[in-house]
Amino acid sequence: MSTDLTSTPVAGSPAAGLPGAATAGSAVAAFFDAYRVRDVERMVDLCADNATFRYVPFEVWARQRVIRGEGQVRTVGKPIWTALIDAFPDLSNVVATIRAADDGNVAAEVSIGGTQAKDFGVIACRGGRYDLPHLFLFHVDGDGLIDDIVAYWDTVDWKRQLDWLEVD
Amino acid sequence: MTSRSVAQEFFEGMQSGDTGAVAKLMAPGASVSLVPLGISGTMAEDGADYLQRLTEAFPDLLVRVRRLFVTTDNAAVAEITIDGTQAAEFLGATNQEKHFDLDQSWILQVGPDDRITAVTGYWCQNQAYRRLGVKRLDKITITAR
Repeated sequence: MSTDLTSTPVAGSPAAGLPGAATAGSAVAAFFDAYRVRDVERMVDLCADNATFRYVPFEVWARQRVIRGEGQVRTVGKPIWTALIDAFPDLSNVVATIRAADDGNVAAEVSIGGTQAKDFGVIACRGGRYDLPHLFLFHVDGDGLIDDIVAYWDTVDWKRQLDWLEVD
Repeated sequence: MTSRSVAQEFFEGMQSGDTGAVAKLMAPGASVSLVPLGISGTMAEDGADYLQRLTEAFPDLLVRVRRLFVTTDNAAVAEITIDGTQAAEFLGATNQEKHFDLDQSWILQVGPDDRITAVTGYWCQNQAYRRLGVKRLDKITITAR
Protein backbone atom coordinates (compact mmCIF):
# COMPACT_ATOMS: atom_id res chain seq x y z
CA MET A 1 0.00 0.00 0.00
CA SER A 2 1.21 3.50 -0.71
CA THR A 3 0.16 6.50 1.28
CA ASP A 4 0.04 9.94 -0.29
CA LEU A 5 -1.89 12.03 2.14
CA THR A 6 -2.79 15.21 0.36
CA SER A 7 -4.50 16.82 3.32
CA THR A 8 -5.39 16.80 6.87
CA PRO A 9 -3.80 16.45 10.22
CA VAL A 10 -5.58 14.19 12.70
CA ALA A 11 -8.46 15.61 14.70
CA GLY A 12 -7.35 16.96 18.04
CA SER A 13 -4.44 18.89 16.60
CA PRO A 14 -6.15 21.87 14.99
CA ALA A 15 -3.84 24.47 13.56
CA ALA A 16 -4.45 28.19 13.74
CA GLY A 17 -6.91 29.43 11.13
CA LEU A 18 -8.93 26.22 10.98
CA PRO A 19 -12.61 26.36 11.77
CA GLY A 20 -13.09 23.59 14.36
CA ALA A 21 -15.51 20.73 14.05
CA ALA A 22 -18.68 22.55 15.12
CA THR A 23 -18.25 25.38 12.62
CA ALA A 24 -17.31 22.99 9.83
CA GLY A 25 -20.30 20.75 10.52
CA SER A 26 -22.65 23.75 10.60
CA ALA A 27 -21.38 24.98 7.22
CA VAL A 28 -22.08 21.59 5.69
CA ALA A 29 -25.55 21.39 7.27
CA ALA A 30 -26.34 24.82 5.83
CA PHE A 31 -25.16 23.65 2.41
CA PHE A 32 -27.62 20.75 2.41
CA ASP A 33 -30.39 23.00 3.76
CA ALA A 34 -29.86 25.20 0.69
CA TYR A 35 -29.63 22.18 -1.63
CA ARG A 36 -32.88 20.81 -0.17
CA VAL A 37 -34.77 23.92 -1.29
CA ARG A 38 -32.81 24.01 -4.58
CA ASP A 39 -31.22 27.37 -3.79
CA VAL A 40 -28.08 27.06 -5.94
CA GLU A 41 -27.01 30.68 -5.33
CA ARG A 42 -27.02 30.03 -1.59
CA MET A 43 -25.07 26.78 -2.07
CA VAL A 44 -22.41 28.72 -3.97
CA ASP A 45 -22.41 31.55 -1.42
CA LEU A 46 -21.51 29.03 1.28
CA CYS A 47 -18.34 28.21 -0.67
CA ALA A 48 -15.10 30.15 -0.91
CA ASP A 49 -14.47 31.98 -4.20
CA ASN A 50 -11.93 29.43 -5.41
CA ALA A 51 -13.55 26.35 -3.86
CA THR A 52 -12.69 23.13 -5.64
CA PHE A 53 -15.18 20.51 -6.72
CA ARG A 54 -15.02 16.86 -7.70
CA TYR A 55 -17.98 14.57 -8.38
CA VAL A 56 -16.02 11.33 -8.68
CA PRO A 57 -18.56 9.19 -10.61
CA PHE A 58 -19.27 11.99 -13.08
CA GLU A 59 -17.28 11.11 -16.17
CA VAL A 60 -18.21 11.09 -19.85
CA TRP A 61 -16.07 8.88 -22.05
CA ALA A 62 -15.85 10.43 -25.51
CA ARG A 63 -13.89 8.85 -28.34
CA GLN A 64 -10.59 10.52 -27.53
CA ARG A 65 -10.94 11.97 -24.05
CA VAL A 66 -12.77 11.66 -20.76
CA ILE A 67 -14.72 14.64 -19.42
CA ARG A 68 -14.82 14.59 -15.63
CA GLY A 69 -16.94 16.45 -13.10
CA GLU A 70 -13.92 18.17 -11.64
CA GLY A 71 -12.88 21.79 -11.33
CA GLN A 72 -14.18 24.67 -9.28
CA VAL A 73 -17.53 25.10 -7.58
CA ARG A 74 -18.37 28.25 -9.53
CA THR A 75 -17.46 26.94 -12.97
CA VAL A 76 -18.21 23.21 -12.75
CA GLY A 77 -20.25 22.57 -9.59
CA LYS A 78 -22.83 25.29 -10.12
CA PRO A 79 -23.68 24.25 -13.71
CA ILE A 80 -23.99 20.60 -12.63
CA TRP A 81 -26.29 21.45 -9.71
CA THR A 82 -28.37 23.72 -11.97
CA ALA A 83 -28.70 21.05 -14.66
CA LEU A 84 -29.58 18.40 -12.10
CA ILE A 85 -32.32 20.53 -10.57
CA ASP A 86 -33.59 21.37 -14.06
CA ALA A 87 -33.90 17.67 -14.89
CA PHE A 88 -35.26 16.71 -11.44
CA PRO A 89 -37.32 19.74 -10.36
CA ASP A 90 -38.36 18.23 -7.02
CA LEU A 91 -34.79 17.26 -6.12
CA SER A 92 -34.33 16.99 -2.36
CA ASN A 93 -32.05 15.43 0.21
CA VAL A 94 -32.09 13.70 3.58
CA VAL A 95 -28.95 14.02 5.67
CA ALA A 96 -28.16 10.81 7.55
CA THR A 97 -24.86 11.72 9.23
CA ILE A 98 -22.47 14.63 9.41
CA ARG A 99 -19.08 13.85 10.93
CA ALA A 100 -16.60 16.68 11.33
CA ALA A 101 -12.93 16.89 12.26
CA ASP A 102 -11.21 19.75 14.07
CA ASP A 103 -9.17 20.58 10.96
CA GLY A 104 -12.18 21.48 8.79
CA ASN A 105 -12.69 18.11 7.14
CA VAL A 106 -16.28 16.86 7.11
CA ALA A 107 -17.94 13.65 5.87
CA ALA A 108 -21.68 13.67 5.20
CA GLU A 109 -23.83 10.68 4.28
CA VAL A 110 -26.82 12.03 2.40
CA SER A 111 -29.61 10.53 0.33
CA ILE A 112 -30.47 12.63 -2.71
CA GLY A 113 -33.53 11.97 -4.82
CA GLY A 114 -36.00 13.39 -7.26
CA THR A 115 -38.42 12.75 -10.12
CA GLN A 116 -37.05 13.02 -13.64
CA ALA A 117 -38.71 15.61 -15.86
CA LYS A 118 -36.02 16.00 -18.54
CA ASP A 119 -33.13 14.03 -20.00
CA PHE A 120 -30.01 14.20 -17.86
CA GLY A 121 -26.78 13.37 -19.64
CA VAL A 122 -27.17 9.95 -21.21
CA ILE A 123 -30.19 9.13 -19.03
CA ALA A 124 -33.28 9.70 -21.13
CA CYS A 125 -36.35 10.91 -19.27
CA ARG A 126 -38.87 8.20 -18.51
CA GLY A 127 -40.44 9.99 -15.58
CA GLY A 128 -38.82 7.77 -13.00
CA ARG A 129 -37.86 8.65 -9.45
CA TYR A 130 -34.62 7.90 -7.66
CA ASP A 131 -33.25 8.03 -4.14
CA LEU A 132 -29.54 7.50 -3.97
CA PRO A 133 -27.07 7.33 -1.07
CA HIS A 134 -24.12 9.69 -1.40
CA LEU A 135 -20.97 10.26 0.60
CA PHE A 136 -19.81 13.88 0.47
CA LEU A 137 -16.42 14.99 1.76
CA PHE A 138 -15.93 18.68 2.45
CA HIS A 139 -13.23 20.94 3.72
CA VAL A 140 -14.21 24.15 5.46
CA ASP A 141 -11.76 27.05 5.77
CA GLY A 142 -11.03 29.33 8.71
CA ASP A 143 -13.77 31.74 7.59
CA GLY A 144 -16.37 28.98 7.80
CA LEU A 145 -16.62 28.70 4.00
CA ILE A 146 -16.51 25.41 2.12
CA ASP A 147 -13.32 25.30 0.05
CA ASP A 148 -13.48 21.72 -1.26
CA ILE A 149 -16.34 19.35 -2.18
CA VAL A 150 -15.93 15.72 -3.23
CA ALA A 151 -18.83 13.30 -3.71
CA TYR A 152 -19.22 9.57 -4.28
CA TRP A 153 -22.33 7.65 -5.33
CA ASP A 154 -23.13 4.58 -7.41
CA THR A 155 -24.38 5.44 -10.89
CA VAL A 156 -25.49 1.82 -11.48
CA ASP A 157 -28.05 2.19 -8.72
CA TRP A 158 -29.08 5.59 -10.11
CA LYS A 159 -29.51 4.32 -13.67
CA ARG A 160 -31.40 1.21 -12.62
CA GLN A 161 -33.90 3.29 -10.64
CA LEU A 162 -34.44 5.43 -13.76
CA ASP A 163 -34.71 2.35 -15.99
CA TRP A 164 -31.56 3.09 -17.97
CA LEU A 165 -29.32 0.05 -18.46
CA GLU A 166 -26.46 1.27 -20.64
CA VAL A 167 -23.11 1.64 -18.90
CA ASP A 168 -22.25 4.57 -21.20
CA MET B 1 -2.71 2.69 18.12
CA THR B 2 -4.57 5.65 16.70
CA SER B 3 -7.63 5.58 14.48
CA ARG B 4 -5.36 6.78 11.72
CA SER B 5 -2.96 3.88 12.08
CA VAL B 6 -5.87 1.43 12.40
CA ALA B 7 -7.17 2.71 9.07
CA GLN B 8 -3.77 2.40 7.44
CA GLU B 9 -3.53 -1.22 8.62
CA PHE B 10 -7.02 -1.88 7.26
CA PHE B 11 -6.00 -0.69 3.80
CA GLU B 12 -2.77 -2.68 3.96
CA GLY B 13 -4.93 -5.74 4.65
CA MET B 14 -7.18 -4.81 1.72
CA GLN B 15 -4.19 -4.65 -0.59
CA SER B 16 -2.76 -7.98 0.51
CA GLY B 17 -6.10 -9.73 0.87
CA ASP B 18 -5.04 -10.73 4.37
CA THR B 19 -8.47 -11.23 5.87
CA GLY B 20 -6.88 -12.55 9.06
CA ALA B 21 -5.01 -9.31 9.61
CA VAL B 22 -8.16 -7.31 8.86
CA ALA B 23 -10.15 -9.46 11.29
CA LYS B 24 -7.71 -8.59 14.08
CA LEU B 25 -8.58 -4.91 13.60
CA MET B 26 -12.28 -5.57 14.11
CA ALA B 27 -14.41 -5.45 17.26
CA PRO B 28 -16.60 -8.52 17.77
CA GLY B 29 -19.63 -8.29 15.49
CA ALA B 30 -18.22 -5.42 13.44
CA SER B 31 -20.61 -4.49 10.65
CA VAL B 32 -19.98 -3.75 7.00
CA SER B 33 -21.98 -1.84 4.41
CA LEU B 34 -20.75 -2.01 0.83
CA VAL B 35 -23.17 0.56 -0.51
CA PRO B 36 -22.89 -0.01 -4.30
CA LEU B 37 -23.17 -3.77 -3.86
CA GLY B 38 -26.22 -3.50 -1.61
CA ILE B 39 -24.40 -5.60 0.99
CA SER B 40 -25.02 -5.00 4.69
CA GLY B 41 -23.69 -7.62 7.06
CA THR B 42 -20.70 -8.48 9.16
CA MET B 43 -17.04 -7.92 8.43
CA ALA B 44 -16.37 -11.48 9.57
CA GLU B 45 -18.44 -12.89 6.70
CA ASP B 46 -19.50 -10.35 4.08
CA GLY B 47 -16.52 -8.02 4.45
CA ALA B 48 -13.98 -10.83 4.40
CA ASP B 49 -15.68 -12.39 1.37
CA TYR B 50 -15.49 -9.10 -0.57
CA LEU B 51 -11.82 -8.55 0.29
CA GLN B 52 -10.96 -12.10 -0.72
CA ARG B 53 -12.79 -11.81 -4.05
CA LEU B 54 -11.11 -8.48 -4.73
CA THR B 55 -7.57 -9.83 -4.41
CA GLU B 56 -8.43 -13.07 -6.22
CA ALA B 57 -9.70 -11.02 -9.18
CA PHE B 58 -6.81 -8.52 -8.99
CA PRO B 59 -3.78 -10.38 -7.62
CA ASP B 60 -1.52 -7.37 -8.28
CA LEU B 61 -3.88 -5.03 -6.41
CA LEU B 62 -2.48 -1.72 -5.21
CA VAL B 63 -4.29 0.42 -2.66
CA ARG B 64 -3.25 4.05 -2.48
CA VAL B 65 -4.58 6.18 0.36
CA ARG B 66 -5.06 9.68 -1.06
CA ARG B 67 -6.73 11.37 1.89
CA LEU B 68 -7.34 10.36 5.48
CA PHE B 69 -8.87 12.27 8.36
CA VAL B 70 -10.36 11.39 11.72
CA THR B 71 -13.57 13.00 12.92
CA THR B 72 -14.44 13.97 16.47
CA ASP B 73 -16.53 10.80 16.86
CA ASN B 74 -13.45 8.73 15.99
CA ALA B 75 -14.38 7.76 12.46
CA ALA B 76 -11.47 7.42 10.06
CA VAL B 77 -12.58 8.70 6.66
CA ALA B 78 -10.43 7.82 3.68
CA GLU B 79 -10.29 8.37 -0.03
CA ILE B 80 -8.37 5.62 -1.77
CA THR B 81 -7.61 4.45 -5.28
CA ILE B 82 -7.47 0.74 -5.97
CA ASP B 83 -5.88 -0.52 -9.13
CA GLY B 84 -4.79 -3.78 -10.65
CA THR B 85 -5.12 -6.10 -13.62
CA GLN B 86 -8.09 -8.42 -13.77
CA ALA B 87 -7.17 -12.11 -13.56
CA ALA B 88 -10.52 -13.67 -12.68
CA GLU B 89 -14.24 -12.97 -12.79
CA PHE B 90 -15.23 -10.08 -10.52
CA LEU B 91 -18.78 -9.19 -9.47
CA GLY B 92 -20.10 -10.93 -12.57
CA ALA B 93 -17.69 -9.25 -15.01
CA THR B 94 -15.82 -11.71 -17.20
CA ASN B 95 -12.04 -11.58 -17.01
CA GLN B 96 -10.58 -9.75 -20.01
CA GLU B 97 -7.26 -8.99 -18.30
CA LYS B 98 -8.11 -5.31 -18.32
CA HIS B 99 -6.38 -2.79 -16.09
CA PHE B 100 -8.71 -1.38 -13.49
CA ASP B 101 -8.47 1.71 -11.33
CA LEU B 102 -11.23 2.93 -9.13
CA ASP B 103 -11.57 5.75 -6.61
CA GLN B 104 -13.40 4.83 -3.43
CA SER B 105 -14.22 6.38 -0.07
CA TRP B 106 -14.48 4.47 3.20
CA ILE B 107 -15.66 5.30 6.70
CA LEU B 108 -14.15 3.18 9.48
CA GLN B 109 -15.83 3.77 12.83
CA VAL B 110 -13.26 3.07 15.53
CA GLY B 111 -14.30 2.15 19.08
CA PRO B 112 -12.66 3.20 22.35
CA ASP B 113 -10.42 0.12 22.31
CA ASP B 114 -9.02 1.11 18.90
CA ARG B 115 -10.94 -1.64 17.14
CA ILE B 116 -13.18 -1.03 14.15
CA THR B 117 -16.89 -1.40 14.87
CA ALA B 118 -18.35 -0.47 11.47
CA VAL B 119 -17.04 -0.28 7.90
CA THR B 120 -18.84 1.57 5.10
CA GLY B 121 -17.59 1.70 1.52
CA TYR B 122 -18.75 3.99 -1.28
CA TRP B 123 -17.75 3.88 -4.93
CA CYS B 124 -19.33 3.99 -8.38
CA GLN B 125 -19.92 0.51 -9.74
CA ASN B 126 -20.64 2.03 -13.16
CA GLN B 127 -17.02 3.21 -13.27
CA ALA B 128 -15.89 -0.28 -12.29
CA TYR B 129 -17.97 -1.93 -15.02
CA ARG B 130 -16.81 0.62 -17.62
CA ARG B 131 -13.17 -0.20 -16.89
CA LEU B 132 -13.90 -3.93 -17.08
CA GLY B 133 -15.59 -3.63 -20.47
CA VAL B 134 -19.19 -4.21 -19.37
CA LYS B 135 -21.65 -2.54 -21.75
CA ARG B 136 -25.08 -3.14 -20.24
CA LEU B 137 -26.21 -3.36 -16.64
CA ASP B 138 -28.68 -6.16 -17.37
CA LYS B 139 -25.94 -8.23 -19.07
CA ILE B 140 -22.93 -7.84 -16.80
CA THR B 141 -21.20 -10.96 -18.10
CA ILE B 142 -21.37 -9.77 -21.73
CA THR B 143 -18.40 -7.52 -22.25
CA ALA B 144 -16.83 -5.63 -25.14
CA ARG B 145 -13.20 -5.97 -26.14
